[in-house]
Amino acid sequence: MAASGGRLPPIALTTNCPSCGVGLVPETLRDQCYVCDCGHHFRMHGDAWIALLADAGSWHERWADIRPHDLLEWKVPKAYQETIDQARAEGLNEAVRVGTATLAGHPIWLAVFDFRFVGGSLSIVAGERLTRSLEQAAAARTPYVLLAASGGARMQEGILALMQMAKINAAVGRLHQAATPYFSILTDPTYGGVPASLALLADVNIAEPGAAIGFTGPRVIRQSTYADLPSGFQSAEFQLRCGQVDMVVARTELRARLAHLIELYLRPLRGRR
Amino acid sequence: MPGRPRDTLSVWQVVELARHPDRPYALDYIRRMAPDFVELHGDRVSHDDPALVAGLGTWRDMTVVFFGQQKGRNLAERVSRNWAMMHPEGYRKAMRLARQAAKFGFPIVSLVDTPGAFPGAGAEERGIALAIGQAIMGWFEIPVPVVAAVIGEGGSGGALGMAVADRVLMLENSIYSVASPEAAASIVWRDNARKVEAAAQLQITSRDLLAMGVVEEVVPEPEGGAHLDHEAAARALEAVLWRHLEQLLPIPTAELLQHRYERFRYIDSLLQAAPDFGPKVEPRGAAGNPAER
Repeated sequence: MAASGGRLPPIALTTNCPSCGVGLVPETLRDQCYVCDCGHHFRMHGDAWIALLADAGSWHERWADIRPHDLLEWKVPKAYQETIDQARAEGLNEAVRVGTATLAGHPIWLAVFDFRFVGGSLSIVAGERLTRSLEQAAAARTPYVLLAASGGARMQEGILALMQMAKINAAVGRLHQAATPYFSILTDPTYGGVPASLALLADVNIAEPGAAIGFTGPRVIRQSTYADLPSGFQSAEFQLRCGQVDMVVARTELRARLAHLIELYLRPLRGRR
Repeated sequence: MPGRPRDTLSVWQVVELARHPDRPYALDYIRRMAPDFVELHGDRVSHDDPALVAGLGTWRDMTVVFFGQQKGRNLAERVSRNWAMMHPEGYRKAMRLARQAAKFGFPIVSLVDTPGAFPGAGAEERGIALAIGQAIMGWFEIPVPVVAAVIGEGGSGGALGMAVADRVLMLENSIYSVASPEAAASIVWRDNARKVEAAAQLQITSRDLLAMGVVEEVVPEPEGGAHLDHEAAARALEAVLWRHLEQLLPIPTAELLQHRYERFRYIDSLLQAAPDFGPKVEPRGAAGNPAER
């Protein structure tokens, strides 16, 4: 099975791999899902994730027209409206995009965080798109695939950004009640209100190798507790040891693993129901 | 600042009142509401979290389960209560006892007062993010009335994990925020000294949250602040908590849970009204209001 559903779009890269130092050839890296030969997984933006996970031509985006609003009239150090306008000018449409697709022929709902939009922060639009898609997935019992990459809740939307966690998790509860398979892929980095809401509540939590995943970031932990944090603290492998994720899966194996899981979870039960 | 008109307080003065060392803490309210309060301990997995007080007692002739994020009055107590910053075990204790309340049909009162969940290595290792996420999801399935009140600091996800309720109230000089002003300043400016500016922009006072439709009611405090008169503050909170609980008690369970879902589903009603949001996927009140069926 192909490692990606379609050809990945280009992403901005450093000249050398931060892990092994080898000089990078963008075209080669693009053909291996932006995974270096040494195993380093480069961060991918939302478009690349959709191309990787969805079968070519199957992505059908929903609710792309709902837009962020500067409800708090946030001014400093940078006006929120300016942040929003700038991101839109760069062709980015919020921190979360959702839609239907197929993965190896299986219909799925797909929700993808995009770290480029205000650090993939959880906002009202992100929460609304996630909640609507979770509700639709539950109603049709369509498997739900989440790709998480986020710094946490969006400060510039204040308390209403925090409230998205409750709104989303209520819908996750209904997804579970409807026995709809839910798969969450946690990538680098996933912090704060996202793992504390939907990202760790899947039937299967999958982490990317080396991804940093946690509630509070290491800088704040050091500041507030003066603790020495071990190397690898909050890595995907650490979260596997701590029982928070089911598996760490290389990006090149991810599609095949998801396809297999969808088959296992959707198989009709014999002699029951 | 006794005698000072309330609407002239700056946001930072409100923050300081919310964090006042003489402010009544959760047990100061719980013991007045239910003098026979019995504390229960432990998550039944590994630990007890002293940052969360939990137990049951008699309030208005009913058995009620109380939760309270508890700060300490002196240094020793602050250390033992961990400044009301909960670990994963606290959220697991809360869900254990919320399910117990559901089994017996006891209503739940939750008093919120925390700077946030504990930002430490141990909390991370033992799954603080998941514990909060499970609690937030779990509250939507607790089939008894739940009334929450922010009595001091409502800090971030650590507060929300104890504030998913049918009604959420705030004491007048309490705050409720996506992140503490210090944390928000550190995120936005990379400098937590900008906390005063951050607090002003975040809109964290009871008045702000009432205007945004995030809380149902603000409970007025004694003149000058709750720290000046614990007795009067407790009487005021008790009366408002009861008024809301009394309205919830007769509601059939299915309707109660549907309303709780919709309370948070459309909590951002300010933006839900924006034209680009389009028609609501599930109109509010569809399941709850017979007139709309």
